Amino acid sequence: MDQPTVSEARLLSVLDTAADGIIVIDERARILIFNKACETMFGIGAADAIGQNVKLVMPTEYAADHDEYVGSYIRTGVKKIIGIGREVRGRHADGTVFPLELSVGEAATPEGRQFIGILRDLRPRKESEARLAELQSELVHLARVSAIDEMGAAIAHELNQPLTALMLYLQAIRRAHSRGVDINTVVGDILDKAAGEAERAGHIIQRMRQFVEKRAPERHARDLDPLIDDAIDLTLLGQRHRIRIDREEGPALPPVSVDPVQIQQIVVNLVRNAIEAASVSPEPAIRVSTRLKGDDVILDVQDNGPGIAPEALPKLFEAFASSKRRGMGLGLAISRTIAQNHGGDLLVDPGGHGKGACFSLVLPAFASATAVAGEGGADGADG
Amino acid sequence: MRVHVVEDDAGVSDSLSLILQNLGHEVILYPDAEGLLRTTPPAGADTVIVDLSLPGISGGQLIRWLQKLASPPVLVVITGQSQGAIDHQLRGVSPVRVLRKPLNAESLLHVLTGD
Repeated sequence: MDQPTVSEARLLSVLDTAADGIIVIDERARILIFNKACETMFGIGAADAIGQNVKLVMPTEYAADHDEYVGSYIRTGVKKIIGIGREVRGRHADGTVFPLELSVGEAATPEGRQFIGILRDLRPRKESEARLAELQSELVHLARVSAIDEMGAAIAHELNQPLTALMLYLQAIRRAHSRGVDINTVVGDILDKAAGEAERAGHIIQRMRQFVEKRAPERHARDLDPLIDDAIDLTLLGQRHRIRIDREEGPALPPVSVDPVQIQQIVVNLVRNAIEAASVSPEPAIRVSTRLKGDDVILDVQDNGPGIAPEALPKLFEAFASSKRRGMGLGLAISRTIAQNHGGDLLVDPGGHGKGACFSLVLPAFASATAVAGEGGADGADG
Repeated sequence: MRVHVVEDDAGVSDSLSLILQNLGHEVILYPDAEGLLRTTPPAGADTVIVDLSLPGISGGQLIRWLQKLASPPVLVVITGQSQGAIDHQLRGVSPVRVLRKPLNAESLLHVLTGD
């Protein structure tokens, strides 16, 4: 390059004070300007970068296609990145590949077309996002443990039943045996029953463990109704109120893309709340139903309690605002967060005037959820 | 001796009935308090084993009713609930024998033989 003119020197010093990385390339993707921020970001000195193809700072899989992108734009004028900005990946001289936000502008100069890329290292943002997601998942787990804790005494009671039966079956055999009573004809039957009771205890433990174990959030395409049925079973384990549960399944519902345990956590929370609300009614009953609305699968949990007082409504989904004696008042706040993390929502019809409350969990059907995910994907530094 | 068992859990009541018959008692099972109330009241020489958490009429209510009979039967409460819940359910009831679940044959035998 020639000695820079005064105005060029001034421009370069301005570029070097920018916090963002700035790269200017020509029509053949050769680097013309590589500012100070880029030197740090990619570990390459400007003197070494200038004149090289911009592929220098790209991971190999982008680099292979980049010339073609530039060429395609110059031939067709179809803008794939210019003026849009998107998330791409860059490559440091030490080989580290990292996420970047890239926006590209275009300038016509006497020396031909030039492209100006502004780059921001996304790692700090990604790290804080990851930390936030981690904290959120801890909190979601904590709320599940707290739900089991609140149901603890009732679950212990539920475990005592099979243990009692198991003990008595075995002792009945033991006693008959030690007194020399001939029990050959019945012993097989009794042992089967004993084994059945041990299995029943095992199922209770299994169900609880599945619920409280700490796992990374996941997504699976699942049918919602079987998840709901399992969650209702778990809720009823810890339930002492007498209650009628009406269950209706919507016809031919599409699957949803969910973290099954987190969705069950919402169902447990909604059903427990509904049972509690309905318990003051003379004929306590709740209705748990599913339906399809547009591209959403919806779960409605309706109780026949007194409805939600208007003054409680504004703070209903806030953490720690519960009027309940037990628990942390986290249930609805966390349930709504989980629903929204799934691209859905948790809505309420407060009822009142003789009508109970109805909570609706809205989840996008699996097919539409994948379409949305595809649009947002970062698929290369095209352009 | 005739032993009435009021217990809604099928496994518990079946195994109780087996061990009680094994001990030489005549056993009558009821899945709830209403079942017992529909029949002739137990005699004073009978024993009634009542689970505290019953659907419908509660164990506590059934015990109050049985204690008001002219010649009340021997009462044994079985329960898997916490002490707090037991105390709450049995408030105002004359002292009864309470067996906490899980049960075993020895404690059952002990209670049935009187001390």
